[in-house]
Amino acid sequence: MPPLRTVRTVCPRNCYCTCGMLVTLDEHDRIRSIDGDPENPATGGHVCLKGLSYARRVTCADRLLTPLRRKPSGAGFDRVGWDEALGEIAARLTRVRDAHGPQAVLYYEGSGSHGALGALSMAFWRQFGGCTATYGDLCWPAGLEATRLTYGDNRHNHPALTVQSRFILLWGHNPAETNVHQWRLILDAQARGARVVVVDPRQTDSTDAADVHLQPRPGTDAALALGLARLIVEAGLHDAAFLGAHAHGFEEYRQRLDAFPIDRVSAITGLESESIRALALEYARTKPALLIAGFGLQRHSRAGQTMRTVALLPALTGNVGVAGGGWQYANLASHCLRPLPLPPEPPASRAFPVSQVARHLETLDAPPIRAAWIERGNPASQNPAAPRLRAALSRLGLLVVVDQFMTPTAELAHYVLPAKTLFEEEDLVTAYWHPYLQWRAKVLAPPGDVRPESDIWRAMCERLGFDTRYFPADRETLLRGLLPEDCACTLEDLKARPLDLSGHGDVAFADRRFPTPSGQVEFSSDEAAALWGVDPVPDYVPLDEGADAPARARYPLQLLSCKTRDRIHSQFGNLDWVREVERPHVLDIHPDDAKARGIADGSRAAVWNDRGRIELVARVTPGLRPGVVHMLEGWCHAGDPDVNALTAEGITDMNHGATFYECLVEVARA
Amino acid sequence: MSGAGFLLDLHRCVGCGACVLACRIENDRAELAAWRRVLPLNLRRHPGGPTYFLSVACHHCEQPACLKGCPSGAYEKRADGIVVHREERCLGCRYCEMTCPFGTPRYDAARGVISKCHLCAPRVDAGRLPACVAACPTEALRLVTASTPPTGEATVRVPGFTDPASCRPSLAFLAPAGMRRAGLFRSLEEGLKR
Repeated sequence: MPPLRTVRTVCPRNCYCTCGMLVTLDEHDRIRSIDGDPENPATGGHVCLKGLSYARRVTCADRLLTPLRRKPSGAGFDRVGWDEALGEIAARLTRVRDAHGPQAVLYYEGSGSHGALGALSMAFWRQFGGCTATYGDLCWPAGLEATRLTYGDNRHNHPALTVQSRFILLWGHNPAETNVHQWRLILDAQARGARVVVVDPRQTDSTDAADVHLQPRPGTDAALALGLARLIVEAGLHDAAFLGAHAHGFEEYRQRLDAFPIDRVSAITGLESESIRALALEYARTKPALLIAGFGLQRHSRAGQTMRTVALLPALTGNVGVAGGGWQYANLASHCLRPLPLPPEPPASRAFPVSQVARHLETLDAPPIRAAWIERGNPASQNPAAPRLRAALSRLGLLVVVDQFMTPTAELAHYVLPAKTLFEEEDLVTAYWHPYLQWRAKVLAPPGDVRPESDIWRAMCERLGFDTRYFPADRETLLRGLLPEDCACTLEDLKARPLDLSGHGDVAFADRRFPTPSGQVEFSSDEAAALWGVDPVPDYVPLDEGADAPARARYPLQLLSCKTRDRIHSQFGNLDWVREVERPHVLDIHPDDAKARGIADGSRAAVWNDRGRIELVARVTPGLRPGVVHMLEGWCHAGDPDVNALTAEGITDMNHGATFYECLVEVARA
Repeated sequence: MSGAGFLLDLHRCVGCGACVLACRIENDRAELAAWRRVLPLNLRRHPGGPTYFLSVACHHCEQPACLKGCPSGAYEKRADGIVVHREERCLGCRYCEMTCPFGTPRYDAARGVISKCHLCAPRVDAGRLPACVAACPTEALRLVTASTPPTGEATVRVPGFTDPASCRPSLAFLAPAGMRRAGLFRSLEEGLKR
């Protein structure tokens, strides 16, 4: 048998795991296996089903392999050569810029593929004279900011220390589906005697394996956190020594707790007083205790303040800087690369929040958006107000979409340019759960006429006579220059194994030095008040579209659109291998809510609010809290229901996030 | 269980299907029916039972019904317990599909032959784990051999899995834990024993 070759690389999806991978190919460059890289201690020798599905994804029949141009009739596409496509795009972009200014062009990039080279797009746009871009993030920014305001930095303990925990509190987090490598470590800890408690309005694969499950009303987490804190302080179980040395504003915070007696917290959250008390006492008494928060509980308008209340519990109980303890939200230890060398930012740039693309396409003036370039994203399906967003994109004079597949966004384009996969260009990839920077090797040559985005941007610069020195022919040289200045390692070291270059060590804040304004854990944050106009001491404020909202008179059900293991948002859903093992696409509804509406299991249900209406099959399940309905997000193929027809273009109280989970609806038989 | 087979930890299995995809890649089944399947139990989360997942392929039975039902001697039980199917002797009669109570054999209409999981015998012979076991991200699916039998806590009969009495499959399970799931599992298990 001819020899096989094995290449070490990394998965660049927007996912906790960022798995190190070993890809083995035969002499025809066919993928013979995809294995986990044992050199990555967090993900170990395993990838997940999505990582394995790359063996299908890179060669599947619906992959785009040539540039496409919309037919003159408007329906469908013709193949077109790169020269012709880029020449026409460059001419049309230039016409828009010259007539209306560079801000008349929207550049939108999503999180579809992580890598340092993604920023090369700005070498074009800055020389173009600027553009309109987006700021903020659809996913997680409020929690990042809350953690930064509280502890000074987004870093947490090394994942391997999870097994040292005696008590693991998963709050709005479902790692059995969304971080399967963390789940392995949690199961290992549980097997060694750790208690696992989950706070989640839904019954999930994580809650099934847990020792205790609390199902609060969505959006009431701040009340629960403040109520737990009050019980802990009342019982004298707070870590007075730690707080005396390392807490800023504890007294103001303590006064805030007076407003959260257990009866009130029980009424707000819908939880039994006894289960709240039991959680408070057990969490505070069992050391070390690890609190892991998901992203879900910060996808609403009070997100930042909510996350501050939850993030303070590990500090209150002295679980910070402790192996097996701590606060886990996101670990940005690997985000240590130097910025790409780019031309200076032109003054003519402008930007708007990414959760409000539809609104800004509709209303931006002086100048309105007339052309757009979209890559690594699928906003036509994945952003709030998706139907309006699609209509607005359809009205543009020019839409260019770069993607591997014909997504709902690409279907609206005038030009669709075929994108590389992770295996077809080298890059450096950071993570947000483990601390490792990883080398993404080029494993395969791009198939067909596919070009990496960096080549597309270089060609666009050439077309418009821009400086191309930002695009060296040798990507390794460019990437080598991004390693941190004081870095002792080389690119060759990174090719051999994932590396933690942070210098923080495995236990976050082991030195009890917190890079906040006070140098302490900030129970009260003047910075929060100054930056975001919020109360310096975090509070519970009911959601406008929440459990206590007057709007429930018309739309009584809270809709959550959660993530599962089969996809990263709308990615992977086109693959037959994934569809074969994925979860059913249904509306989960509690038997009480279903009965009141005459909805039977398996019947078709309509879900609507003032923003939109969709239909899908109902699954009547006692696993949900009554008053909550749920469907998975990320469906964007023919006939799929469009959850973002229902979601609002809200903004989180901090850091410009989206509010997908603040969404009241009514449901009826369709 | 005396020979080679699988042990599935129902507490650790999250039903993700990585095993199914790894099997497809390893055994060149990109376009063909997968040898391994994941059968979810109670996804609707009826309160009367636990939710868990059965990842199943061939069980390499001690008394293989496929072998007994095959008129052409295409099946062989190796000394280590692995049941292999030899395509060159397969008539394509599909009798084994009828005799196997687990729905394991797959008929490939284009070539007119049966195929099935061989426990990655070439890998096992080379001292490696089967692809499905190697890929399992939670280490729920494990290889069992004569020298590494399942532990004493393992059970062979679980709710949702075909009664193993007739052919003694080489598949054992570890019961799910967790406050809610463990109790529900035990009550269903009691029902099976009655």
